Amino acid sequence: MNVPEGLKYSSDHEWVRVEGDTATVGITDYAQDALGDVVFIDLPSVGTVVETGVSFSEVESTKSVSDIYAPLSGEILAVNDQLADNPELVNSDPYGEGWLCRIAMSSPSEPDSLLDAAAYQALIEG
Amino acid sequence: MSEDRRSPLHQAHLDLDAKMVPFGGWEMPLSYPSGTLAEHAACRESAVAFDVSHLGTVRVTGEGAFEALQWAFTNDLNRIRPGRAQYTHLLDESDASVLDDIIVWWITPDRFDVMPNASNTSRVVEALSQGAVVPGIVDVTSDRAVMAVQGPEARSRLGEVAPEAAAVPRFDVAQLSIDGVDVVVAGTGYTGEDGVEIAVPVESARHIWDLVLGTGVVPAGLGARDTLRLEAGLPLHGHELGPGITSLQAGLGWVVRFDKGDFRGREPLMAEAEAGPKRTLRGLVVEGRRPPRAHQVVSLGGRPVGEISSGNFSPVLGQGIALAFLEAGVDDGAAVTIDVRGTDVEAVVSSPPFHKR
Repeated sequence: MNVPEGLKYSSDHEWVRVEGDTATVGITDYAQDALGDVVFIDLPSVGTVVETGVSFSEVESTKSVSDIYAPLSGEILAVNDQLADNPELVNSDPYGEGWLCRIAMSSPSEPDSLLDAAAYQALIEG
Repeated sequence: MSEDRRSPLHQAHLDLDAKMVPFGGWEMPLSYPSGTLAEHAACRESAVAFDVSHLGTVRVTGEGAFEALQWAFTNDLNRIRPGRAQYTHLLDESDASVLDDIIVWWITPDRFDVMPNASNTSRVVEALSQGAVVPGIVDVTSDRAVMAVQGPEARSRLGEVAPEAAAVPRFDVAQLSIDGVDVVVAGTGYTGEDGVEIAVPVESARHIWDLVLGTGVVPAGLGARDTLRLEAGLPLHGHELGPGITSLQAGLGWVVRFDKGDFRGREPLMAEAEAGPKRTLRGLVVEGRRPPRAHQVVSLGGRPVGEISSGNFSPVLGQGIALAFLEAGVDDGAAVTIDVRGTDVEAVVSSPPFHKR
């Protein structure tokens, strides 16, 4: 499984790319493989306030539906509109074109509590 | 780790990097690395092969075989002949619930290969043993693998390595050989596409599987099998058939031949036929991609009118689809609402199938 360096990871299999006070969020390669072919993603509206560990999105695959839990608290700044018609981007490019949303973080130090690539790799191999 | 039974093709699936899952007491491939949607598309556009060894095979032979099947099941064998296959139901004697849906391969005048869903095999054996003359009944599931080759190019591709097998007409059954291996081939399937199913002795299963895949037929797993059968409007036991669900409610009245004489469950089913079923199986097409799921409630004008039995995304339509039991009187074209975990999703009532070849 691909676990890029330089990203932060949650134990619920989301990745976070931090740029200043903003965090881009998606699901990991491990998560997309476990979900199977994604056919629909319910994303929050811009402006929604999300809270760490609380579901903010549902991902439907041909297999099942899964909640996506916010890896950080904050306000939704943007969502990936491409996913409405092309949810398969989550499978084909989970760390790139398949990103889910951008969050304005309530606490810019919160990513420090997330896993780094090595720790996440250890988690999924565990 | 797993106590589940393994198919004779288990190693073939591992070699193809299949994702294996437990299913009805068996460990079977969910999908191969290309994924469910690609396998679904391959079946609609070219050809796929499924390992369906998890279906049971009960061999019924000798004196009393014909009579045992006529009494145990709803369909009428007098409508077919040896060398043909028939879809039929096993009913609960007290309330006519469909205990299993079955394909019967009538191979020779006194040999029937009865193919129930794996977990229901014992019920089928029991029902076949209730008559005055009990025929030979042997569960031969462990002796064979079964593969289904399906899709518009199934016959042309299979024909490259097994021309006789590829020529078996729809709902015919034939004993023949492929590359020196004795097999039984039926023109049956569960995808809404043309194709055949092939029963192969365990020791030759891998050889025949590899021969078929060598023609460019794509392996497909249970994920695609489910989205394909749903698009084709075909029932899955445990969803569209099962406890509390009759053949008439499932829209499969054609499987029941009241005029053939007595059969298991005839009386309670006749009572329902006279009163008219209170609910029937209908199709739902969602106004978007969101897949409905089993047990979600369907409402019309704010009033609940039924419940979804199976739902998913239809790759052919690019929309969510479902089968649902709705109360009588809800017409095609009715605009209904599905409660998808608290979100109202709009859908339109239709008559399945959602895809016709």
